[in-house]
Parts: sequence; structure tokens; C-alpha cells
Amino acid sequence: MNIPRIGDSQLRQEDFRFLTGRGTYIDDINLDGQVFAVVVRSPEAHAIIKTINTADALAVDGVLLVVTGKDWRDAGYGHIPSKSAVNKKRDGSPMNEPPRHALAIDRVRFVGEPVALVVAESLEAAQEAADLIDLDLETLPAVFEQRQARADGAPQIWDDIPGNLCLDFELGDKEGTDAAFAEADHVISLGVFNNRVTPAPIETRGVIADYDATSETFTLHNSTQNVHGNRDTMAQAVLGIPSEKLHHIAPDVGGGFGAKNSTYPEPLLMLHATRALGRPVKWINDRSGSQLGDTHGRDQYSTVELALKADGTFLALRTTTVGNIGAYCWTIGPFTPTGGSARTQGGPYRLPAMYYSAEAVFTNTQPTDPYRGAGRPEGSYMMERLVERAARQLGMDPLELRRKNLLTAEELPRKSPMGLDVDCGNFPIVFEQTLAMSDRPGFAARVAESAARGRKRGFAIAPYLECTGGGPKEHAGVTFSDDGRVRLAVGSQSTGMGHETALAQILAAQLGIAIENIDYVQGDTGATPIGGGHGGSRGMELGGNAVLQCAGEVIEKATALAAHLLQADADGIAFEDGLFRATATNRTLSMADVIAASLDPDRLPDDMSPGALDTASVFERGIISIPNGCHAAEVEVDPDTGVIDVVGFWVVDDFGTIINPMLADGQVMGGAVQGLGQALMEQIVYDADSGQLVTGSLMDYALPRADNVPHMELAYYEGAPTKKNPLGVKGAGEAGCCGAPPAIVNAVLDALNDLGVEDLEMPLTSEKVWRAIQDAKS
Amino acid sequence: MYPFQYHRPASTDVATRLRAEHEDGQYMAGGQTLIPVMKQRLAMPSDIVDLSGINDLAGISRNGDRLIIGAMTSHAVVAGSAEVSAAIPALASLADGIGDPHVRNRGTIGGSIANNDPAADYPAAVLGLGASVITERREIAGDDFFTDLFETALEDGELITAVAFPLPKRAGYAKFPNPASRYAVVGVMVAETVEGVRVAVTGAGPCVFRVGAMETALAGDFSPAALKGITVDASNLNNDIHASAEYRQHLVGVMAGRAVLAAG
Amino acid sequence: MPQISITVNGEARSAECAETTLLSHFLREHLGLTGTHIGCDTSQCGACVVHVDGHTVKSCTMLALQAEGADVTTIEGLADGDTLHPMQDAFRRHHGLQCGFCTPGMVMTAVAIVRDNPDIDETGVREALEGNICRCTGYQGIVEAILDVAKTMRA
Repeated sequence: MNIPRIGDSQLRQEDFRFLTGRGTYIDDINLDGQVFAVVVRSPEAHAIIKTINTADALAVDGVLLVVTGKDWRDAGYGHIPSKSAVNKKRDGSPMNEPPRHALAIDRVRFVGEPVALVVAESLEAAQEAADLIDLDLETLPAVFEQRQARADGAPQIWDDIPGNLCLDFELGDKEGTDAAFAEADHVISLGVFNNRVTPAPIETRGVIADYDATSETFTLHNSTQNVHGNRDTMAQAVLGIPSEKLHHIAPDVGGGFGAKNSTYPEPLLMLHATRALGRPVKWINDRSGSQLGDTHGRDQYSTVELALKADGTFLALRTTTVGNIGAYCWTIGPFTPTGGSARTQGGPYRLPAMYYSAEAVFTNTQPTDPYRGAGRPEGSYMMERLVERAARQLGMDPLELRRKNLLTAEELPRKSPMGLDVDCGNFPIVFEQTLAMSDRPGFAARVAESAARGRKRGFAIAPYLECTGGGPKEHAGVTFSDDGRVRLAVGSQSTGMGHETALAQILAAQLGIAIENIDYVQGDTGATPIGGGHGGSRGMELGGNAVLQCAGEVIEKATALAAHLLQADADGIAFEDGLFRATATNRTLSMADVIAASLDPDRLPDDMSPGALDTASVFERGIISIPNGCHAAEVEVDPDTGVIDVVGFWVVDDFGTIINPMLADGQVMGGAVQGLGQALMEQIVYDADSGQLVTGSLMDYALPRADNVPHMELAYYEGAPTKKNPLGVKGAGEAGCCGAPPAIVNAVLDALNDLGVEDLEMPLTSEKVWRAIQDAKS
Repeated sequence: MYPFQYHRPASTDVATRLRAEHEDGQYMAGGQTLIPVMKQRLAMPSDIVDLSGINDLAGISRNGDRLIIGAMTSHAVVAGSAEVSAAIPALASLADGIGDPHVRNRGTIGGSIANNDPAADYPAAVLGLGASVITERREIAGDDFFTDLFETALEDGELITAVAFPLPKRAGYAKFPNPASRYAVVGVMVAETVEGVRVAVTGAGPCVFRVGAMETALAGDFSPAALKGITVDASNLNNDIHASAEYRQHLVGVMAGRAVLAAG
Repeated sequence: MPQISITVNGEARSAECAETTLLSHFLREHLGLTGTHIGCDTSQCGACVVHVDGHTVKSCTMLALQAEGADVTTIEGLADGDTLHPMQDAFRRHHGLQCGFCTPGMVMTAVAIVRDNPDIDETGVREALEGNICRCTGYQGIVEAILDVAKTMRA
């Protein structure tokens, strides 16, 4: 029997099934009588759909249904609405939100946009028929890059949206910032591009939809990160049915990172098809479809400016960003380059004045949506690149410049000029601890050793500050059964992070029960009335606190029952380490005893009935928490080829209370390697002329492999649990993506500093690095 | 995948006969390129003649001053072979860098050179080491074998049975891998053979090619320094998102120098 | 339709099998062994790795008919009842998995790595994982698990 405590590296409950091949992912589910669907995607970036001839496709043996945009329109479905929290322009008018349907109706606007659905008795028949869908398209001029899309005379993606502008946005004190710049001794300015990447979970998305005509109810199995939110959008906004008519279930989900957050066309298409055919419809995306049709992330051009005093004191930060949100608003795409990046501007530094302005711009590309960090990694990258540039340009030590401007613990709590409630932390200690781990004294010798092999070695440190997000409420429900099992159902959702362990660990620790006896349930609209799913590093902050709160309510009820059983008053019962003790008599009962009693009518008081301890609880977050930390990287560059080898990586994070250090480590390292990928190799490329996706497979889109990644050393600063939530947690899921890119890019710039290389744009591909060296030489 | 008939003959004779009977048929060696292509419905052979059942086609042997590698010998077997490592260590090292461990367990030398992917490693070995390609009909000099992008001197239905490598005095291979696919962006085999120095470049152009100027320079002075200033014509080189022609041109020089060092 | 006879996880299996059926598909759909996963179309990700006659192969890049007569081991064939294989146990202890999707291919690869080279070091392990992509873990837990098992084997 294993009763873990909060803070233990409890091994994972879910590992047994995953390690033995007994996980149940979407493609492992098959329903009797199921048929197979293929989605036909647009081969052009921008074109008028003149006709879609489906006759040949329908003639293929085994084909049951072909759906085009016109069929979809005629069925009368509603638009798929955007849920962006920033949805008004600077002047207060609503953002330009073009209608998004599951299929393009009269015009396609990006390569990969769904244009038709084919359903057949077999996948092979569906594929064959899909190839025979005859699209007659009239090509229109297209634009793929956001600054070009804003230029005069740029192709119009939406006829009624001039300048391709979804919305403009500002935050902060413009006058105060401008005044600070006017008085500054130095102004440092930098253009920064945050490259477009794709989350690329190894499991592609998939759906099985099943309709019961008798009850008029859909069951949708979907590899999604958010069953409740997407259920409501699909049912209410698109299908026009009550939410309870759509049972939405996520099985084991093979990674998400943001790509499985959104309301996608395909689940809606399968719901349509299953109702039309009266049979379960299965659709599993392939990697090509995933590269084309999963939401992309990042893609921001920014100009950042820092005003400083002569001694290096920061005075103000000014940022202008143009974000590429693709052809539609998608689910929360407009938020990322606006509110998403704005809130944490300035990072952990003392910045008296800040101003952020942004535009979210339409282009003929797959829309963007949150990818791990959703704007905060972009903000962190801008700041750290700018600070490093300032140090270089002013001839200051980059470490000293950071030391001088980091907020101290004494200055907290503090409301940042962007309105962020920075309550606690110790940024200088975290910074110094990271430096200490990275062996600065040995650096000179390592530089010399690299030089002897013809390599350039560099180092950089990147403090970061971010914030949590995602749905503000969470449900946790506990039910006890007489076989000793405890069912814990939570509306937050793991797509690999280990909630089945971490949330069960909190419940086990609080109640003093064995974690092995807890059956964890998530990702099912039938299991919890509400749920916020996964996103915004909310798992422990919302899910964890919901479980804590629920456990507290169970203990309260159990104390009353223990008092009855021990013939004492409730206030004469102490509960500790899973044991109820009557303080007057010292008689004790274990939690297990009390649970057993709660299911036995003979042992219950009159005002209780069996199942009396079953509890459901909704936790509501007050204020988002502020995870922070510091990443440091050491790199080696081969100047002959431009190849970068990250040879050292150190991280110290302040996530407040750490529920399970092993799981936190996994979040940090996974996020850091996604950051490494963005910094060094990942880049979604659309052909500049045709808008074809050049990086349409993993043959051309480079994901980090084990040999691209250094051994990482991690530590935590646990001296500042937040008081914003009862657990004191700050959210750990996305921080890795905030620290790694600036640390790595700045380390490469450090390595190449004496060759005269001053700037590099992510990803730092070998050719780009080699060219920068050549250009600096000439 | 489009439907096809599957055959797994046990002899070369039956294999070539089956292939002759089916005009739109295709041999399958390890299938590491062909199967992905068929999965993506980019090829539709009527018949697949799987060569894996022909035991004679796999194996490594020494015949005087030639190392004979059967066409169906996997990359992993070549990489792990003591015989290859003793005779031509550069060849073992090249095989050890193809694809990834799983691809190396299935992929074969015959399949690789018959396909003549411009980014494959083995063509550099065949051309750079001056090897001969042995078919059921004849022996084709490496210099004559690779004719163009995905094109070889093989006639319709002709089957590679083995590749014969003359033992070089020394040889080295250096590869610059594509970070995504791990194919060669540029791979250079440099060999000092009985006949002279050979330099073969894969990945850089539409088809593996020799660099005469480098061969001449290395014949005089077998050192990286001898290659200084020698470049290949960038106008004939590949240009894609991973490497421009100009960068490939540069990498040919760097990799050639590293191959010379590897040759020792 | 052609017939195939193979041994999977020690059990002789015979079935009808279309020429176009990939080994991965055969294992998943015909035999119900859904632990073998498909993550890409182009033979990059390695989620589908199984052992065929002791060699790791990408089962999505092999026709089922090519495995005629072969001895195939999948992730389902590693554990001994409820007792995890030492490599599975090491993955758990070192947190070498998160979402679990790449895990079957990773574990099958890892088993072969230490079997073929118990003296392997960290650099060697990272290179030997070239054919397997994990998007969750950052690889460190996987590498540590493999080194741990190798160390135990050497002891």
C-alpha cells in the first residue's frame, strides 16, 4: 500500500498500460459497423471553388457519402466561433471574424483547407474516391506573410476585411513609455521573428462519431485536449443541439501541446456523417494531414525597443508585433500575438513603463492557435534577445546588466505595467543558482578546448517570467465503492503530463489512502459536469486545487461520520495521516474504516445514507499564477558548416509548490526540447509563390531527436509558494518553451560574437549560421 | 496503397522470370523506399517481386582483392561486418550512417543503388571506391552505372545480384545529414585506389558525381590542404529548404576535407 | 487472398492477409495488438518498431507478407504477466514516457540497444535512438532508463 505525500516523486499509475501496449488511443477504438472517412483538402492557397464534381467518387464501389461545402451550407449548420479572449479592436469595435465552416463553401483560403468529405465501407475505397473528387478552382492571388499581407495592394483574403486586419490591440502606458524613451540615455532596438512551428504530437488527431437516432444523441470519441469546451461549441454553435445531446469522450491522448485544443472541422464532419448514415464513422489523420491541417504556432514579427539610463538601468520597453493568424480566427488564434504575448512583457525585470501594440493579420496559411506557451515564449524571446543586444551594444556584461535590472523579492508583490499580478518569487536567487550550476569558472577552459578543435563555444542565460491561463474553473468528484476502489473524476485533462498520478497523489495524500486504489477518470463529458481540459499550464493550478478542495470536503464529512462511529463530537475528532482520533478517548479509525462505514447503512447515523462521502466540488481560480525561472545554455558551433551542438543546459524553476518533482522534471525537459527545436530546426515553410506546404512531412520538418539534445540539469526554487491558490502551485507545463529559445540563440550569438555575427533568426539552421559567418567576414 | 500481386521467389531465375512476365512489376529489396512511396500512392506496381527469399543474394565474401557484397545484404550487416571493417572501414562506416538503425536492418545495398536516390549514401561508395555492379546479365562499372536522377544503367528487369568493391589503399566517407530525413545533404567518399584517387559526391547534385580537380589535387598531396580553393560548379547542384546550391557547394569542400582526414 | 503464418509473441498465428497489408496494420487490426502505433507516413517516427527475427524494424515499412515465417515480438510480448520487463520498469522509474504514444517503439528499440551493446554510453544511446521520435519527454528519461538497464546487465 502506497500513500504518497505531496512533493514525492510518485511513479506513474498510467505507465503500466502505456508500457505494455494496453493504452487506448483513438485509433485503437473500433465500433461495430463503422465506416471510414477521408477529408479532401484544398491543393491551392487561394481560389474560387467553381464546381466540385463528385460523380466519379460516388461511383467507387463501397462509397457511402460525399459531402461538399454546398451540402454543408444547405444543412444549415452554424459557424465555428472564435473564443479569443481578446476580441475587440483598439477602437472598441468587434474584431473581424470571418465565418468558419467545417468545409470551404465558395472559396478556399489555404493549402490543406477541407473541401470535401468522403465516407466508404473501407479506408481504401474512401481514399480511392477522394482522389476522384474533381475540383474546378479559379486561382486567386495569395499572400502568406503577415507584413506583406498588411502592405498596400496585398491580395484580399476576405473581401469585406480591408488590409487583412483581424484586429489591432494595445496594452500599457503609451505616453509614459514614450516619455521615458525621450529622456533615455540609450535606446536599443531589435527586430525579432518568432518562427512558425507545428506542435506535432506523435499521435495524429482522430475521431469516431456514433449517432443514436432513438435518443438523438451523438457519442464522439475524439483525440482532443478539451472535451467540454469543444462539446459546447460544436453542439450549441454549429449543430444547434443542446450540449447534453453530444457525449464527448477523449481516450488516451498521444500528446497535444495546443494542437488538440481547438474546435476542428473533422469532428463536425464525422458528426454530420454518422447522423446521415446511421453508422459509426471513423477518421484518423495521417501525418501529412497533420502538418497541413493542425493549428500552427507562433509566427510573430516584432520590433522591440528598450530605453536605458547610462548606467544600464531599464526605463521602458516598447513593442510592436505583427502576428500571422492564417486565413481564419480559428479557436483563439487572435489572442496569441495580442493578449497572449502582451501580459508578460518585460519578464522578471524592473520596467517602470511598458507599451505593447499588435496586429493580428490574415494570410493564406493554416491558422495559428496556441502552441505550448501561447504568446509567453514569444514575449520571453523578444525580451531576452533585446537585453543581450543591449549589453553587447553598450559594452556591458550581459550577466551584470540582468543582475542590475532583475526585480528583487523585496519589490514583490507588484502589479506590472501590463497589469500582471506578480506576487512572489526570488528572481535574483534563481538567476544566481542557475549560474552556479553552469560552472562559469570552467568556461574559459572549455572555450579553449573547443577552439583547439576549431569550434566556437558560447554561453547565455535567460531568466523568464510567464503566467498561467486556460479555463478558470475546475470540477473534481470523488465516489467511493464497497470494493475499496475510489473513483476520482476531474475535468482537467492529461495528454501525457501524468494527472492520473499527480491528481490521485493529492487525493491519496490528503485522505491518507493508497494511490493504487484510486481510479482516475478524465476527458469525458459524462463523468464531470464541467471541465477546462488542458491548456495554459492549468493542470495542477485548477485540477490540483479542485482535488484538494474536494478532498477537504470529504474529510469534513468523514470527520462527522468518524465522530458518530467513535461516539464523540465532531470537534473532538482530529484527522492526521489518514487516521481519525477522538481526542478525549484516543480511540482511532482509519480513513478506510470510515469509508467502509459510509457504505454500510447499519453504521450510518440517521442523517447520512450510503455514499455519504461522495463529493463533487468546483474550484474557481482567483488570479493566475506567475511561474518563473531561468535557463542557461552552452553551445558549440562548427564555423565551417554552421552546425550547432547544444552541449550544456541548466534550468532552475520557481513553480511554487511542486506536487511531484519527477513529473515536473518531465514537463520542464519536454518543454525545453520543444524550445530547442524551435530555436534550431523547426520551421513551417510555405512556398513563397504557390503557398504549397514545403514542410509537409517529417522528412522535411525537423523534430529534435535524442542526439540533438544535451543532458539537462534541473533544480527548483521552492521558497515562494504562491498564496493565490491553496496548493501554492504556479503551473509548470509551458515554462520550458519560454526559457530555451532565448538561452540557446543568445548562446550561439555569444559563440559567434568575435566573428562579428550580431543577429540570427530562428530557426538557426546550419546554412543560416554559416551564411551569417560569411556575411560578417565580408 | 494500390493493389498488387506479391511474389517471393527463392531463386534469381524465378525472380527475373516473374519480373519479365509482368511489365509493370517491380523488384522489392528492403522496401525502405518503395513501401513509403507505395503508401503515399505515388507508385502503382502491378506485381511486387520480393527478393528477400533468395538466399544467394545476401552475404559478404572476399574474392582476391575484391570485396563482394550480395545485393540483399542489409546496411546493418555491412556496418557490423568484421570482414568489411577490415577491408574497407569507410564502407562499414558509411553503411552505419544510413537512415536509422531500423532502416539499416531492412534496407539493402542493392535496393539503394538500384533506386539511385540523389541523397542516398551508397552511390558515393560505389562510384568513389570504383566498384562494379554485378547483375544476372553482366558486370557494370560504377562509373557507368548512375546515369541521372533516379536513373541507372540497369535495363528493364535486370537484377543486381552483388556489388564488387576493389580494396582501396585508404578511403574515408564524410556525410552532412539532413536534420529531418537524415539523408545526405552532402556526402563525399574519398579513396586512394590502385588506379588512383577517386572523389565521389552524393546529395549535392541530381546524381552522384566525381570531382576530377579534387582527385588530381589529392593524387599529388593526400591531405585536406590540397583541396583548398577547389570548388564544384554550384549551377548543377540541388537547391531546397535545407541547403541552397551555394551552401552545398561549400559543404562539398568541407566534407571532402573531412573524408580525407577520415581516410587517415 | 494470400495466407500468412507467423509467430507473434511466441504464439503461432495464421490468417488471410491482403498483399497491401502492412505488418503494423496486420498486428493492430488482424491480431488486435494495438500497442504498435503509427505516427507518421514516411518512416521517421519509430512508434511502430517491433522485432522481426530479433531485429528492430519499422512495421509500417514492411509488408505483412514479408514477415511470413518470421518470429515477431511486439510491446505486448515483453512483460511476464504482471511483471514488467526490466526495460519497461526502467522507463517507469526514470519517467521515460509521458503520453505513451511513442513508447512501444522506444521500448522495443531500447531492448535491442542494450542487448546488442551493453557497454554503450550516453552518446551511443542518443545516436542509437536516431530512428525514434518522442515529442513529450525531451529524451532524458529514456536515455537514463536505457543506461540503467545496460549497467544492470553489465553487473
